Amino acid sequence: MRKIILITLVLIAGFSSKAQYAGYSPVTDLTKFRTEFAAATQKTNSIKSDFTQEKNLSMLSEKIISKGKFWFKKENQVRMEYSQPYQYLMILNKDKVFVKDGQKENKISTKSNKLFQQINKIMIDCMQGTALNNPDFKTKVFDNKNNSLVELTPLTKAMKGLFKSFNVTVDKKDFSVVSIEMQELSGDNTLIRFTNKELNATIPDAIFTIK
Amino acid sequence: MQQFRMRYLLLSSCLFFFLSCSTTHKQTQFAISDISSLQKFKPAFTVALYNTQVDVVGNHLSGLLIIKKMPDSSTRLVFSNEIGFKFFDFEFSADGKFKVYSVIKQMNKRSVLKTLRKDFELILMDHLENVSIRTENGLLYYVVPQTKGYNYYITDSLGNKLIRLERASKTKTVVEAFMENYINGIPDTIGISHKTFNFTIGLKRIER
Repeated sequence: MRKIILITLVLIAGFSSKAQYAGYSPVTDLTKFRTEFAAATQKTNSIKSDFTQEKNLSMLSEKIISKGKFWFKKENQVRMEYSQPYQYLMILNKDKVFVKDGQKENKISTKSNKLFQQINKIMIDCMQGTALNNPDFKTKVFDNKNNSLVELTPLTKAMKGLFKSFNVTVDKKDFSVVSIEMQELSGDNTLIRFTNKELNATIPDAIFTIK
Repeated sequence: MQQFRMRYLLLSSCLFFFLSCSTTHKQTQFAISDISSLQKFKPAFTVALYNTQVDVVGNHLSGLLIIKKMPDSSTRLVFSNEIGFKFFDFEFSADGKFKVYSVIKQMNKRSVLKTLRKDFELILMDHLENVSIRTENGLLYYVVPQTKGYNYYITDSLGNKLIRLERASKTKTVVEAFMENYINGIPDTIGISHKTFNFTIGLKRIER
């Protein structure tokens, strides 16, 4: 009887660890992954892509889908331009954030806005490959045939109160970001998928200028 | 002299009492109109997404508000910013109850939640009970008594066009709102403007 219980428990434990992310299994050699990830992202100086954002409201059984264009350039520069079904522009440049929401333009210093500072850092860390070194998160890595999934669990009080985890999926070929998922405590999530990626395309600095 | 002072005090107290009891809109004339005609302005939300602009005492906030009628007849309102960060998730149940599923710390204050609840209740028009109709300046005032104060739905003289909505205390207008360009029973544009402090909400429907 004890043996049966033990076997059942082992099986359940095995299934639940595998079922954490369907099709993914945990990466045990984190050092190797970290080295490869850092080496690959060091070669990436810029990214230009399209993106699709899917906000899932679980209890409402609703999805809000928006689309736009994305630019990243080293160091610390991101531009996200939403064009469908609404216009919205966000530029992250070093420690400054610029937001234009159709009617108003707003400049935010991430130094004074801790939440923006953290989100800003996650976005840039993911693109630059420094996400694994961020001390504000506990990191776990999973992989399947084509992709690696980096799970970042917040450790700071402010972020723990808002998000369960950030899951960053990278392409194993070039370690470029395939998607970023923000998982909320409520069970809702936001998934941003990057498509038509161009690595190291020439991007003028002016695109990140905050006027 | 003392008697005079006493009379003066009594008179001024009575005057103050009557003044404070007089409602925002002097409801002198009762109109003959069908109360049920107000129902046609009640937004027929199934699910609607609005581009949302909020300005509150010098701070600007933008995002997306989704309004959904749930199978249990409650209405859910979820407001998040454009990049998916959720500000609040409210439920207005069919029996008049209000539930906060989530709200960010900065907004989690009793006065803020109460204000938002009342503002959205004015718009949702779910509880149109004990309605009376009055006329003023050629307009029809549908008066819906609240626990404190009134909600007014103001239409043209024929009750065909919704001019504006008001939330009032017993003495003054607290909120003015409008709902315009109804498409399939759902307003395309909604505006809420507070009169006692600098707080406005603007909603413009997004086609998905």
